[in-house]
Amino acid sequence: MSKNDRESCTLELRGMSRHFGPVKALDGLDLTVRPGELVALLGPSGCGKTTALRIVAGLEVATSGELLLNGERYNETPANHRDMGMVFQSYSLFPNLTVSENIDYGLRARKVDSDKRQKRVIEMLELVALESKAKSYPHQLSGGQQQRVALARALAIQPRVLLLDEPLSALDAQVRGQIREEIRRIQLDLGITTLFVTHDQEEAMAISDRVGVMSHGQLEQIDKPIVLYNSPATAFVATFVGLANRIPAEITAKGKAKVLNQKVNILESAEPFPEGSKVNVIIRPESLELVSESDDEATRGIVALKSFLGPMTKVGIAVEGAPLIHLNISSRDVRKLDIGDKISFRISSDEVMAERV
Amino acid sequence: MGVVRARSRIRSSGRGSGVLPLLPFFLFTGFFLIWPVVAVTLRSFKGNKNEWTLANYRPILHSGPYFHAFIVSLKLSLITALIGSLLGAFFAYVIVKYARGKFGAVVDSISAVFANSGGVPLAFMFVAAFGTEGIVTKVLKSLGWDIYAGHFTIFSFTGVVMVYSFFQVPLMILVFKPAIAGLRREWEEASTNLGASAFTYWRRVGIPILTPSFVGAFFLLFAGGFSAYATARALTVGTVPLVPIIIGTLVDGNVISDQTNLGDSLAVGMIVVATIVMAGYIWAQRQAAKWRS
Amino acid sequence: MGTTASGEVEKLMKRFTLKWPLVITSSLLAFLIFIVPLYGAAVYSFKGNGGKGHSWVNYQWLIHQDGFYPSLLTSLKLAVLAAFLTLALMVPTMVYLNLKGQKYKSLVDFLCILPLIIPVVSLAIGAQVAMPKILQNSEYELVFFFVIIALPYTYRALDTSLQTVALKTLVEASRSLGASWTSTIMLVIVPAIRSGITGALFLTFALSIGEYTITSLLHWETFPTWTVVAAQQNILGAIAISVFSFVGAIALLSIIALLPKRNAQRVEVDE
Repeated sequence: MSKNDRESCTLELRGMSRHFGPVKALDGLDLTVRPGELVALLGPSGCGKTTALRIVAGLEVATSGELLLNGERYNETPANHRDMGMVFQSYSLFPNLTVSENIDYGLRARKVDSDKRQKRVIEMLELVALESKAKSYPHQLSGGQQQRVALARALAIQPRVLLLDEPLSALDAQVRGQIREEIRRIQLDLGITTLFVTHDQEEAMAISDRVGVMSHGQLEQIDKPIVLYNSPATAFVATFVGLANRIPAEITAKGKAKVLNQKVNILESAEPFPEGSKVNVIIRPESLELVSESDDEATRGIVALKSFLGPMTKVGIAVEGAPLIHLNISSRDVRKLDIGDKISFRISSDEVMAERV
Repeated sequence: MGVVRARSRIRSSGRGSGVLPLLPFFLFTGFFLIWPVVAVTLRSFKGNKNEWTLANYRPILHSGPYFHAFIVSLKLSLITALIGSLLGAFFAYVIVKYARGKFGAVVDSISAVFANSGGVPLAFMFVAAFGTEGIVTKVLKSLGWDIYAGHFTIFSFTGVVMVYSFFQVPLMILVFKPAIAGLRREWEEASTNLGASAFTYWRRVGIPILTPSFVGAFFLLFAGGFSAYATARALTVGTVPLVPIIIGTLVDGNVISDQTNLGDSLAVGMIVVATIVMAGYIWAQRQAAKWRS
Repeated sequence: MGTTASGEVEKLMKRFTLKWPLVITSSLLAFLIFIVPLYGAAVYSFKGNGGKGHSWVNYQWLIHQDGFYPSLLTSLKLAVLAAFLTLALMVPTMVYLNLKGQKYKSLVDFLCILPLIIPVVSLAIGAQVAMPKILQNSEYELVFFFVIIALPYTYRALDTSLQTVALKTLVEASRSLGASWTSTIMLVIVPAIRSGITGALFLTFALSIGEYTITSLLHWETFPTWTVVAAQQNILGAIAISVFSFVGAIALLSIIALLPKRNAQRVEVDE
């Protein structure tokens, strides 16, 4: 299997904006994807992630900003001269062409030699393990197989950049996990610079080198998945990435708050919260621990539900004055706990994040 | 005991898909649709003295006015189907691509009205516009172009073609628009992304996918042009030999033929042509559906 | 000198798109093919007596002819009967077909396409040959043939509307709550396929009102056939009617198209 003959390149977006009248689909996006890196753009519908991707591909035009590949400006380059491979969400395979002909398409457009083309198509089929389907038509394939062909087709032309527009969203849950690993494996093997758009945070976190969380056309934070998880920059990132409890609290002093009769330290924020103000404190389930009933500084509650998740069980605790609080506890430890039992827990992190109510 | 009860319970739960409730429909269509077609086919094989014969078919199959009429009818259908399908496809493309929202809905209704127009009102309209005293005729004359200088009249073959196009084109728009709308945006975008020009996309993907639907629509237009009666009658009685018109004149008793049942054979001939064409249409539709799943 | 709120403003690429040339060409063509004849006829129809000046006289002429009201009444009568006969025949048939009679679907589908394949002229001849004398002596025979001719459209209208509704689920829900078959049909199914029923009603009505071929070949006088005969005396009047019916139909359908639609709820059922 030959690697991408081209050298990995740097993809850069500077101040990218896309306005539709008063609506700002993209608002000054700055992003650099390093050579060989897989960056995911993560966010809810309408956050601008797909717009950004389509602008990179040349399918849409930015109202302002620059697109650079290895420092070269690409804004004016027509979409069919950009040498980027794109995988769409679904239905992008040409229905009247066989799998081989689909993969072959970009090569024929580039007037590649017939022999070279054949070799390359076989290479690509092997890459995605679909040799047996070479002569099949798209409608004869499953969703997962279709996306693998789409990937092969995009990579056949040896693109400088790989773009993926929610490629797994239309697939069954089972298949999704497999294909996403395959994508990452191939991407690492070829060392191709990749931009991956999704609304599924688990997906983004699982395979990316860095994840950029977007909201309302802007990048809220971009960093390695573990950093996003442990040190979210904003409340939006904290609640979008991973699970989080939002618990009402009151600021008692600078940097301190009282939440559910426990005292906590609040992370510094750009604008300090005035004393006495009401905030929501954001705490991950794993930052809460069960303690014995005799602990006076713990919060008391009643077990409202148990969701068995395999090695861990998610326990929902009903506490007065707060929404349902979720904890993750190892399934072994939680065996003796029943719904309706009294239970106590403590916040175990040093600092927690707060947001205005 | 228990077994018997279980079985009778199943039967009475109404699981059987009997044909009884559909009987009214089958009887109705059988009597008012199938039986007339069968009856006319049978009678077409009967001669003047009620004997079985092929005599009614001879005038059609051998050269002569009736055979000629079939040729003219087929020619008319072919030409109007071509004009209708090519122009209609062009309009359909422009409409799908550029007519959005409410405007598109209005265009749809207008197409529907025009597609179902025809018959006498349409004929009269064209006479008013393009007849010897017609407005357009007069305007063109004042601009120096006398359209009646040559052989043209609105009552000629060419005139009929003009009039038929008025409903063939919108009919094509109605029938073909879904096919164009069915071309997914992703296909064109993927093609562009892979480095192909728009021309290549249309050549390798767009047109091949549209072709079965186009051919099917063409057949539909052909069948419509062939069977049209009212418009042709208003324009051409006597002037242009068309099969439906001839049947009409035979029925009216304006023309007496040696073979009393000649009209029947003409009618059956029309059914045969229409059936062949519609078979082509159904085949084309099936081809088009093959890639959609 | 401050910077603008959105920073550097890039000039939008002026890419050459095919949009305007195509739109202009098609508009011109459409104008030539459709507007010119219609407009020409409209101008013609306003000609006053003696061909000079403009007047509405042609539009009024037809109403004053003998036979206007009788033939119009006949057409309306036949059209209404045909519309209701269609409903009475097709609604139960289609409902049953989609519920329990699935295996007859392709046969019924074929029978309903047949009137498009069989030229109406041929059907008319067949009617002459096949219909019993009693029927042939009454103009009501037309009602049955109008229903047949409308079948392709009414079948499609009812079928589409039945497919959109999750029929099986509705019926099962209704039955499990204890409703009888009649109640289920009247109170649950019929309201659900209201749009299909109205569609079928109007289609049959419109078709019947304007039907010319079978009517004239079977020698009956309805509004269309009478109009043709009357028009032979006054071509201007005939043209006036034609223009009027065209413009009227376009206006009516455009208004209907522009009305806000109530969205039918599409229920996806996993069988």
